[in-house]
Formats: sequence, C-alpha cells, structure tokens
Amino acid sequence: MLADLKELWKYRELLVSMVERELRIRYKNSMLGFFWSLLNPLVTVLVMTLVFKNLLGNTMLNYSAYVLAAYLPFMFFQTSIMDSAQSILYALPLIRKIYFPREILPLASIIGNFIHLILALLVFFVYLAAVYAINPQISPFQLSALLMPLLILINLMLAAGIGLIVSALNTFYEDVKYITGVALYLMFFLCPIMYFSEAVMYSKQLEPRPTIYFIYHLNPVATLCTAYRKVLLAPQPVDIGGAEKVPSMPLDWTMLGIASFTSFGTLVFGYWLFNLLKWRFVERP
Amino acid sequence: MSEAVISVRDLRKRFLVNRSGANSLKTRLMWFKHRQIETLEVLNGLSFDIFKGECVSVIGKNGAGKSTLLALLAKVYKPTSGTISIRGRIAPLLELGAGFHPDLSGRENVFFNGIILGLTRKQIAERLDAIIDFSEVRQHIDAPVRTYSSGMLARLGFAVAVHVDADILLVDEVLSVGDLEFEEKCFGKINEFRHHGGTIFFVSHDLEAVRRVSDRCMWLRKGTIALSGNAAEVTEAYEKAAQAHQLGS
Repeated sequence: MLADLKELWKYRELLVSMVERELRIRYKNSMLGFFWSLLNPLVTVLVMTLVFKNLLGNTMLNYSAYVLAAYLPFMFFQTSIMDSAQSILYALPLIRKIYFPREILPLASIIGNFIHLILALLVFFVYLAAVYAINPQISPFQLSALLMPLLILINLMLAAGIGLIVSALNTFYEDVKYITGVALYLMFFLCPIMYFSEAVMYSKQLEPRPTIYFIYHLNPVATLCTAYRKVLLAPQPVDIGGAEKVPSMPLDWTMLGIASFTSFGTLVFGYWLFNLLKWRFVERP
Repeated sequence: MSEAVISVRDLRKRFLVNRSGANSLKTRLMWFKHRQIETLEVLNGLSFDIFKGECVSVIGKNGAGKSTLLALLAKVYKPTSGTISIRGRIAPLLELGAGFHPDLSGRENVFFNGIILGLTRKQIAERLDAIIDFSEVRQHIDAPVRTYSSGMLARLGFAVAVHVDADILLVDEVLSVGDLEFEEKCFGKINEFRHHGGTIFFVSHDLEAVRRVSDRCMWLRKGTIALSGNAAEVTEAYEKAAQAHQLGS
C-alpha cells in the first residue's frame, strides 16, 4: 500500500488537473455555473423551513441556519460518493489505453465536490453574517467554529473511503450505484438534518434514551451532522415537537472520537480494497 | 548491438470472458447455476527484444492478440505470467483522442492529455504552439472538441503524443485516419522521432504502412509469434497465408 501511495504522489499533477477538469466541465455549459449548484441546497432548506415553521409549528430561532449547517456537509457526502461511483466507468475508454494510478479518478470526484463544499460554506458564512447584521440577537459564530477544519477533515476521510469502495465495486456490478443511491437517500432521514439530535435522546416523553442515542451516533455521518451544528451555531433549546423544549446538549467528544476512528478506518480499508481490485477494472468479465 | 529498451520474456495473458451478457449482482449470485465464465488465452508465451531506435510493427488477424500486447506494454494490464521490462518513458498514442473530453476546448484537452502522458504543465505550455501547428487545428483550438471532426481529433491526439519526447511510442492503427497530406506529415515526424533515437512499436493492418516505416515485423497468430524478421519478408508471408486461407475456404 505504501508503494501505491508513492505512485499516487508521483502522479499528483494529474490529480490536480483531473480535479480542475471536473470543475470546468461542471460549470462550463451554464452561465450561472456555481450558483446553479447552490440552488439545490437553498431551495431544499427554504422548503424545509417553511414546512417546519409554518406547518409543524417549530418555534426555534434561525431554524434554516441549523438545517444548512448539517445539510451542506451531507450534500457533499452524497454527491461526492455518487460522482465517484461513476468515475471509473466513465473513464473506461481512457484507462483501457493508458496507465495512471486508477484511484485518481474517484479521488478527483471527491476533491472536486470538496472544493464545492468549501465554496458553499463560504456563502453560508456570508448568510450567517447577514442574519447577524439584521438581528444581532442571533450570534453568527462561536469560538468553537475554529474546530471546523477538524470536522471537515473527518468528513473528507469518510467520503474518500466510501467513494473508493463504491467506485471499485460499481465497476464490476453496476447495481452498486443504485444500492448506494437508496442507502444515501435513507441516510438523509437517519441523520439529524431536518431534526435535532436532542430529539433522538428525548423523543416526546422527555425520558433520556442514551442507548438509542449512542447507537444512532455510531453512524459517523450522524455524528458529523450534529458536530457541525454544535461548533458553528449557538446552542438553543430544541423544539422536539412536545409541549416543552429540551436544553441543547454539548458537543459529544466521545462520539466524535469514534467517528474519526471509523472514518480513518474506512479510508484505509477503502484504499486497500481499491488497490486490490484496480488491475481488474479494465478486464472485467 | 545497442541496448534493448523493451524485453519481453514468456509473456502470457489470460482473460475471463463472460458469456452470460449482463454483468450484475444477480448474475453473480446465480453463478452456481450457470457458470458461464470462460477463460481466453490471448497471449501464449511471447518472448522478444526491441532495441533502441528500432521501429517494430506487429501484424496479424483480428483477435490475434495485437492490441492486448500493446496494452500490456502500456501497463494497462498486468501479465498473467512472464515479464516485461521497459527502459525509458513510454507514450501510447491515444487513438481518436480517447483522453479527450467532448465539452472541453482543444487547448484544455492538450494540457490534460500531456499531463497524462507524463509532462508537466510548464513543459506543455512550452510546446503548445508546436502541437497546435502540427495538428493544423489552430482556428478551432478554443472550441469544444465535440465540434471537431474525427480527422481533427486524430491529428490533435497524434500531435500531443509525438511532442511528449517519449523514448518509446506505441502506435495502434492511427495513421490511416488523417488525409494523405497529414499521413505524410506523420511519417515525416516518425522518421524525425527515430532519427533522435526514439523507438516505435506499431500495430497495423495496413501492410503498406508497415513495409514503409518498420525495420522489423512480427506476425502474431493465436497469441504466439508466427514469424518475425525483415518487414518485407514477413508481410509477404502473411499475405500469402491470407490468400491461401481465402482460396481454401
């Protein structure tokens, strides 16, 4: 595996230009380019906010910011994995002709989407600052926002690991892509994006359920969604649909530790599996 | 005798061929019922050397293993057994611009292809003018390549490959795509490339081109070398065999 890493490093310039190519292609044929891709999360969150505030009677301050803080990273996770799943098959005519480390293909998809996440987060920060300017009661940032790079790193490792696994398997069985699509769709509901992790702990009865909370957060994506919210945005009592609000819970370092361990493990396993299979991509029966 | 830049020893390549068509998890799960995977021996123990500055061509019927051999030399496949040792940088000539993305401009594609072939961005920038001039597509270089004709694509692809300064050029049946004038230009460039000590490995059905550019010719039949030697003699023997086969059938 070390030899593979060394080889990858030798081809780093190809990786860079592959990422550049990916971004160019994505934004080439549309004038609004980047803003088209922002439209999806913005419209989604707008609709979610309308539904939760007006139809389900959620009374929290600045609800849409809490949704976006979890939804943007989730979107990165989703699109980067779906893109990398296709990456090898799309490039099959090329890899039948010429050698380069094949992992560059899924990694370029992941990194391309990652750059997109960073841009989207910057726009999100501008939005938070604007909300603060209009209503100074809502504090835009907390000091713990400095932990963002750590969360983003864990997120990136996890996405890269799963992207490598999915792209390698999808090359042999194209069903993998559909299964992954469904799994990611369901994952959206199993992660605290529309709702808050406090709702998992308390539900409507106000009885703490630490076991369910623990199992729920063994999913590193769920832990990350919660963590993004906790480090970025001010804590406020959470409306869980019952009569009373529950107090906000602090950032759970144990769960974050487990998530980073899982993510790193996934990356190592993914890279190992990819390298095991990569020579057979061109000669799949 | 000069040094061998490509040494191949007892090279074998076996493929698994799926006869059941669609490739899905379902067919995989049903394997125990209908196991329709067959092995196909494409190359059966090839051994040869190619020396610096030589131009060696490979001829043979479809399915004789020519393209597989080329792909093995390009490190696209791993050999089933046997060894390939290569001294120097090898550049496969991507036919019809396999590495071209239709939505990107010719210029962007030149950069991308050059980097795949092992150049740095700076080196490509230095050679960009020479590449564009050679390909004769200067007018359209900033248009997306999906608007190019197949001839223009082939010319651009060839232009990039011959400008990467590889030690060994792998050519798979590309010269016949351009018009006559461009073909002449390619032969000129190939001669120039060889003049500077470059080695060419050339796969073709065009016996005329084979006789014209190569010093040595290998005739591949069912994954083994049927005959190897002087290009004129080998192509003649190949033609005779083909004619005899036609008369016989």
